[in-house]
Amino acid sequence: MRYGHFIFGSCLCLFLQLFISGVNAQDGSRQIVKGYVINDSGYALHGASVRLIPNDAGKSYLTSTDSAGMFTFTNVVAGRTYDFEATYVGYKTGKVQGLKILGGKTNTVMIRLYPTVRALNDVVVIAYGTQKKGDVSSAMSIYKPNEYDSRPVLAPDQMMQGKMAGVLMDAGSGTPGAANRVNIRGIGSLSASNDPLYVIDGIPIKLTNGALGDFGEDMSSISELNPSDIESITVLKDAASASIYGSRATNGVVLIKTKSGQKNKSRLDFNAFSGVANVPYLNRLKIDNSASYVQVVNEAIDSYNLQYGYAPGRGNFVDYIRNPYPGLPDFDWTNAVLNKNARTNSANLSLSGGSTKNTYFISMGYLDQDGTIKTNNLKKYTGKINLTQEIFPWLNFGANTNFSFSRNNRVPGANLGSTPLARSLEQRPFDRPYKPNGEYYIGGTSELLRNNAVQILNEEKAYLEDYRMLGNFHLDISILKGLVLKNSLGTDVDYTHDYVYYNQDHPYGLGTGRLTDQTRINSNLLFENTLNYDKQIDKLNLSLLAGHSYQKFVTKTNLTDGNGFPSPSFDVNSVASVILAASSGISENSIESYFSRANLSYDDKYLLSVSFRTDGSSRFAPDHRWGYFPSVSGGWEMSKEPFWPMRSTSLKWRASYGLTGNQEGIGNYAYQALTGGGYNYNAGSGLAVTNPGSPNLTWESARQADIGFDLGLFDNHITFTADYFSKKTTNLLYDLPTMATSGFTSVTSNIGSMSNKGYEFTLGSNYDFGRVHWTSNFNISFIKNRLLSLIGNDPILVGGNKVLQVGKQVGSFYVYKQLGIYQRDDQVPASLYNTGVRAGDVIYKDVNKDGIIDVNDRQIVGTANPTYFGGWNNSITYRGFDLNFSFTYSYGNDIYASWRINVTRLGGTFFPNLNNEVNSRWTGPGTSNTVPRAIYGSTYNTQNSSRYLEDGSYIRFRNLSLGYSLPDKLIQRMKLKRLRVYVQADNLCLLTRYSGIDPEVNDNLDPKFMGDDNLVMPQPRIIMAGLNLTF
Amino acid sequence: MKNRLAAASLFLAFLFSSCSKQLNIYPHSAASSSNLSSGDMELLLTGVYSVVQNAPGPQSYIMNDMVGGNLISARGTGGALVLINGILRPEQSLISSAWDGYYKALYQVNELLKATGTGNTTGRVKEIEGIAHFFRAYLYYDLVTKWGDVPLLKENTSDKLSRTPQAEVWAFIESELNAAIADAPDFSSYYYVSKDAAKALMARVELAQGKNSDAVKWAEEVINSESFHLDSYDKIFRAQQNQEEIFAFLNTTVESSVNISTLFYTYAQANKGSYVYAPASDVMSMYDDADLRKDISISVVGTDPIINKYPSGQAGTDPIIVSRLGEMYLISAEAQGSSGLNRLNDLRRFRGLPDVTPADDAGYQDAVMLERRKELLAEGFRWFDLVRWGKAKSVLGLSDMQLKFPIPEDELVLNNLLKQNPGY
Repeated sequence: MRYGHFIFGSCLCLFLQLFISGVNAQDGSRQIVKGYVINDSGYALHGASVRLIPNDAGKSYLTSTDSAGMFTFTNVVAGRTYDFEATYVGYKTGKVQGLKILGGKTNTVMIRLYPTVRALNDVVVIAYGTQKKGDVSSAMSIYKPNEYDSRPVLAPDQMMQGKMAGVLMDAGSGTPGAANRVNIRGIGSLSASNDPLYVIDGIPIKLTNGALGDFGEDMSSISELNPSDIESITVLKDAASASIYGSRATNGVVLIKTKSGQKNKSRLDFNAFSGVANVPYLNRLKIDNSASYVQVVNEAIDSYNLQYGYAPGRGNFVDYIRNPYPGLPDFDWTNAVLNKNARTNSANLSLSGGSTKNTYFISMGYLDQDGTIKTNNLKKYTGKINLTQEIFPWLNFGANTNFSFSRNNRVPGANLGSTPLARSLEQRPFDRPYKPNGEYYIGGTSELLRNNAVQILNEEKAYLEDYRMLGNFHLDISILKGLVLKNSLGTDVDYTHDYVYYNQDHPYGLGTGRLTDQTRINSNLLFENTLNYDKQIDKLNLSLLAGHSYQKFVTKTNLTDGNGFPSPSFDVNSVASVILAASSGISENSIESYFSRANLSYDDKYLLSVSFRTDGSSRFAPDHRWGYFPSVSGGWEMSKEPFWPMRSTSLKWRASYGLTGNQEGIGNYAYQALTGGGYNYNAGSGLAVTNPGSPNLTWESARQADIGFDLGLFDNHITFTADYFSKKTTNLLYDLPTMATSGFTSVTSNIGSMSNKGYEFTLGSNYDFGRVHWTSNFNISFIKNRLLSLIGNDPILVGGNKVLQVGKQVGSFYVYKQLGIYQRDDQVPASLYNTGVRAGDVIYKDVNKDGIIDVNDRQIVGTANPTYFGGWNNSITYRGFDLNFSFTYSYGNDIYASWRINVTRLGGTFFPNLNNEVNSRWTGPGTSNTVPRAIYGSTYNTQNSSRYLEDGSYIRFRNLSLGYSLPDKLIQRMKLKRLRVYVQADNLCLLTRYSGIDPEVNDNLDPKFMGDDNLVMPQPRIIMAGLNLTF
Repeated sequence: MKNRLAAASLFLAFLFSSCSKQLNIYPHSAASSSNLSSGDMELLLTGVYSVVQNAPGPQSYIMNDMVGGNLISARGTGGALVLINGILRPEQSLISSAWDGYYKALYQVNELLKATGTGNTTGRVKEIEGIAHFFRAYLYYDLVTKWGDVPLLKENTSDKLSRTPQAEVWAFIESELNAAIADAPDFSSYYYVSKDAAKALMARVELAQGKNSDAVKWAEEVINSESFHLDSYDKIFRAQQNQEEIFAFLNTTVESSVNISTLFYTYAQANKGSYVYAPASDVMSMYDDADLRKDISISVVGTDPIINKYPSGQAGTDPIIVSRLGEMYLISAEAQGSSGLNRLNDLRRFRGLPDVTPADDAGYQDAVMLERRKELLAEGFRWFDLVRWGKAKSVLGLSDMQLKFPIPEDELVLNNLLKQNPGY
């Protein structure tokens, strides 16, 4: 139970009592002192020990709190001073010192306890259940968000950033609702689904692109969840903890448990914040002004005419350009599309509690968040009801449900031709959006170089609506003591409407308007039965699990694409004069699984866990359908042995080994030889062979070994966790490129193997400096990825700048290496000289020394994978103040800045130029060895090369918040349990050598393509204020 | 106790009830390839039209204009040679998508021929085979003229293949066309393959090999056919019924991904376009004002020159002409030498131009070449014409290696039996 009105009521009683007995209210009289022990977030602590210590060395008394957290001392003498000391398992001792007992006054004491950093008796959420944290022998990371350290994020994956060792969360795009990249212990797979498996309240969730059509970036499919509803996030990193989710656990498992009510403890929480966001560091994208632009392009044209001996009327002579709007100021395009004052407002209300036989947790959430591009806005409404009910002592029922609705008014992402930020950056400095008569200048023609982003934002209506119901209903039957049968039905139903309407004035509007209207319903049904048996035999704790599950995923889609609308106000396809395309689709897959696990602990010292799972997937042929995933882990609490000499130091060893699998990222019917429909001609239906079939296709699987220890020093004031892991993935699933002469350019295959090895360290500390309390968590992970084998061991080219090559990392950049700039014509090899290369052009390394620069001269020049990464999180409290700040960092990863190509052409075409490139360009021998000359009509200098590869290391001051919780006395008067106000700043500062705005650039979440920056929307800087209120 | 055991056993029954049959899941938009029967042949044939039309991609149809000096990058940077140098590279995706597309299409044709080989050889099956042979010849003509020696697949295989000498490929094309001329249906609609379509392609094939008398023979046979007459550009390039076309892909918007028009039109036009390629300046000046082809072939929007033969912009797709009678006149005129002057002037007169009277053979050849460029602009002829005539180097400034396309790099990496064309 929470404390507001209850305290008020109690105080009133006490006051009345004292008033009635006021005659005795004098020094030396016996008084009653009542008090409450609560934790940092206001929950009553039942069973806490409270000691009453007289300051004059008299006899001390001991009592404990009841279920409401209340304690009473009756033999207290007025006029004397006492200390009160409360202890509770998992919490640091709390004291109220030197309280003088007053006669005839209200004598109440509130003692607030703060948790120790490492509470060994905490129960942690594990696969299919919970476990005492001390009994865990596998590698997992746990994050329990609270109001102090939470960032204002949309999705649970963003909450994890920098909090846990071995978990790499890399933001995809700064637009609200965009997908993020999450890697647990390195790149687990080559197929696009490198995402971990998310299990929300027991339901494995399939991550899909939240958007249906291509609007330039992937959207997150878990951003519909309300982060405020999350009680804990457990990341299962090693095989032993994850392999019970065998089939889909290769990339790790993220278990998310939502909040639930507590018996007999009612509580109401209200949280709200409001803030503004903008794009920082815009000065990094400084485009050269029009005077200088004209000068540089004409310099390039001069070089061209001179080099080829062209003169007016002779050859392909090119004339000078000039500013068509002399005297007019340059137009600031980025300013015209960015929203400098993007607002975010959020409110959350939750009610929780329960009686002796039931609990409830009900929450409602609202978020209204502007993107940093104009018109971009996300609204999200969430609701949640979690219930448990004891029907009979042996029969329990529970339901966890999440409802959400979101509407995302989108702007084109970085990979769409109309993407506002890049297209704005690429306009010539004198280009402007409107003609003097108010019409738009038309992009892509001579009057305006690139798509007119102002027009694009004004003339399109694009939104993504999502309705989602995620729920789990379970019935638990206690058959015998310790033996529980749990039957559960999980459903995740997700309806998405993806609507893109280009009206008649939009460049993509086909002149009469175009509407692409798509809907999708995803249903995910889980039918699961588990049998749990817990038994204590002497010192042996035994926990057994057996289970069966069947899960089916069905996706149904509809699309209509129409054009020809009478006016922009008509915006449904029923009025379209032409239907360009109409289609519908149904796609299904299913998984059946049997699993079992035994957790044993003896004397709390020796820990053993063994699990086995087998899964059948509809994606593989019957003969190759079933995969088997065993695991074992052991732990030893060495510091609990009698021989252990240091009482204040604890040490636990852990080791694990096991197998996990993956079947995501491939087609639902990849193994089947298929003849597909839809190959129509002249309105006749036609068939074509669409898949040659891969009957031998089977599970990708990973063997992972992990060894680690947990060390606690000085009574856990300092904790240190270290893990080493080695993970080898075999039968990698990949769309293997095949010779076109086979009729197909790729076939889904098991192509090879890969290893990830790494170290993870977490250093925690918690100290008191007087009344200042400081806790901190620093984590760092070193992960090394290597491709071990490929079919035929031939390299596989990926995209324009990547390669899969045995012995190298996945994510290796494979381009020409720039050695410098030719300073004199006589340095240029003849073969290049003949194609027009001269002094001032880039020297590419001639790897095979054949005198020409061609595709054979590409080499691996960098990697998108960091050498190490992590975060540092701090929390400092002083009286009612709390200060939290965190950093995230990444070191050693490279970024391919492909956005720079178009703005470093230096007159090669009519694109504008980055100011700093212009200033450091080659203009004669010795002027530059990095930036080439200005030369018209040549693309030689802008080929994919290390010229665009940059160091992507960074340290980001991720979050700073300062909060103040009103004093207990005051909030009691206000009938509250807690009131905290805070200000918070996200993304305050960024240290990086990367030349773009933001080094977190994973606009493509496929590990093979990561690290490419097409100028994705950078992470916004958000400044906000909020309050947390508890009744 | 009894209750809970009953309840528990009920659920335990569920627990051990297997769902493994639920793991057999089949697609809704495709069927198992092993179930194909001879009854599916018409469906497969329709599929062949669809795949051959779509697989090579829009640029493949105008590739010879892109690397033949007719087109430059729109919005004016660099001349024709800059575009050509950018395209004729082994890693250029336009090269690999064309190569991949031709072989993907060939795969479907071979599957069709495999299916007909198992059925009864009734009259219609023969016709279908004739159509399939035409498509194989059509695909190999594109392959051999661009790449020279190419892997020759008479039936599908996933084995690595080396390049077959081009003489053998040409012989194969001829034999395929002979089969098509024998078995393909008679002409009924130019959106379907006919005997006449095969003859028209044969004329082109013979001309390419320098077999001029055969080229004349086939071209004249088509010209003299009752089915075809020269017709106006308004009809041919605005998708109206006409008597000029011999074979074309219908390429309807819903059935096609081949949108050529958006590559040529600009956003300043009513139905929009992304304006990727523009006519080169000499193309803009080569038509006389009297030329009835001029306004349909080229135009100027604002200050931007455009190709105007594909009118749908971004809003749709246009039919893609494979063979039409104008080409037959030019083949006949070219293959006959100066005695073909009548055919040349027949065509010129129909297009609104006066007769020409070249002074000598060289002058005649120049006249034919210019007429061919004007007549067949943006229809995929120019580069190979120049190569055929030995003029590519002098007219365009190409290097020796650029007389062949590079084998796509992706394909070389995957098949070590392939050797790159020299120079790349």
